[in-house]
Amino acid sequence: MKITDAAVWPYPAGDSSVRRLALEARELGFDSIVAIDTPPSTFEGVDILSGILVREGGMKEVMSRVKRAKGTPAVISVQAGDAGFNRAVVGHRGVHILRGIHAADKNGFDHVTAKMAADNRVAIDIDLSALIAARGIARQRALQRYRDVMVLQNRFEFPLTVSSNARSVLDLRATREVSGLLTLLDMDLPVIERALNGVAEVTTPVPPSVRAIP
Amino acid sequence: MTVRPPTLRDKRRYLLVRVDPAGTPIDQKELYYAISDAVTALFGDVVAAIMVQAVICAEGDRHIVIRCRRGTERELAIALSTITACRETRIALRIIAASGTIESLRERLRQKAAGRDPSSDPTGDDEAPAGNAGRDWAAPAPADIPPTNAGPGAVQDPLPGGRVIDGKEYIGTYCDGQKVDVIEKGFKNTHRLFLTRSDLEES
Repeated sequence: MKITDAAVWPYPAGDSSVRRLALEARELGFDSIVAIDTPPSTFEGVDILSGILVREGGMKEVMSRVKRAKGTPAVISVQAGDAGFNRAVVGHRGVHILRGIHAADKNGFDHVTAKMAADNRVAIDIDLSALIAARGIARQRALQRYRDVMVLQNRFEFPLTVSSNARSVLDLRATREVSGLLTLLDMDLPVIERALNGVAEVTTPVPPSVRAIP
Repeated sequence: MTVRPPTLRDKRRYLLVRVDPAGTPIDQKELYYAISDAVTALFGDVVAAIMVQAVICAEGDRHIVIRCRRGTERELAIALSTITACRETRIALRIIAASGTIESLRERLRQKAAGRDPSSDPTGDDEAPAGNAGRDWAAPAPADIPPTNAGPGAVQDPLPGGRVIDGKEYIGTYCDGQKVDVIEKGFKNTHRLFLTRSDLEES
């Protein structure tokens, strides 16, 4: 099991260098981090995975970025939008994570998208910053949306990832705290463990079910 | 009012919490309000009333002890993880241990201090393994963490004379092992950067 934070924002997007984030992540119990727009490396035993986040430009931009990243070990995340966009994203080969479900349209993630995500092994990201930093109605809405996602996850068992969306070492949380926050979404321990291992799950290629023997 | 006999008193639990970043001045009253707001916002007044949380004392420059009723420490820990600021100052609270007595938490801090050269850590903080007093909350187990302390070098100014980063002048404010915090030179709106020694060597 490889515990991974699915999105951190190192300097200059944040106030912490990628190495410092890796150092803190190790002390907080993580094995690897996905650093957005940062080349892959390893520091003090922590794997720093390169992350690509597609936030705008529609499906055309998604396809373009996936094509450019083909053959690289980058973890490709796409910001969720409306239902049609989300279905197109989870159906597109090469996309690893659909993130920002809590901020997407209310009906943006339905049972059809959930089934497609499970079939195509596209993870749905749980953004902890929505639970940590938000207050009042914004946090209530995020909790509500993620609880709804968890209902679909229990049925279709699509992969999950967990991200702190940290722009500073102060935004990182220990694995035990992450686990505590995820229990607010009615997640039990095996599901939490699978979610923390989600990045490794979606980036590991699936062995072919049928093998041609010469 | 007469004091209740021990069997009729509420059972309490105490959390040892480290305040990050280093050097942040701790105002116990402000911290109490921040924690109280976090608990109330997340779990509501009912749980807050059951929890009876309180900031008991500050241990050293960076550690505080928080009290709650036994059985609510999990909720308190979750609420603590949602605290991002204390009166406009950005902070993070890292839970180190939970215990039934304050004394065992103090013993734990003493053991940490004894297990390491005190001169290497001017803040009194420690990431090193400690004894078995209290229950470990931080993950992974501290014993699994390789020491990053640079020994006597930890007290040296990481940026003698300052350093210019992206056109702004920074001075070192905290250094422990690989970790180096720098702060922008000036009186107001100064930004803090969290770097490593490797970053400074390469810049």
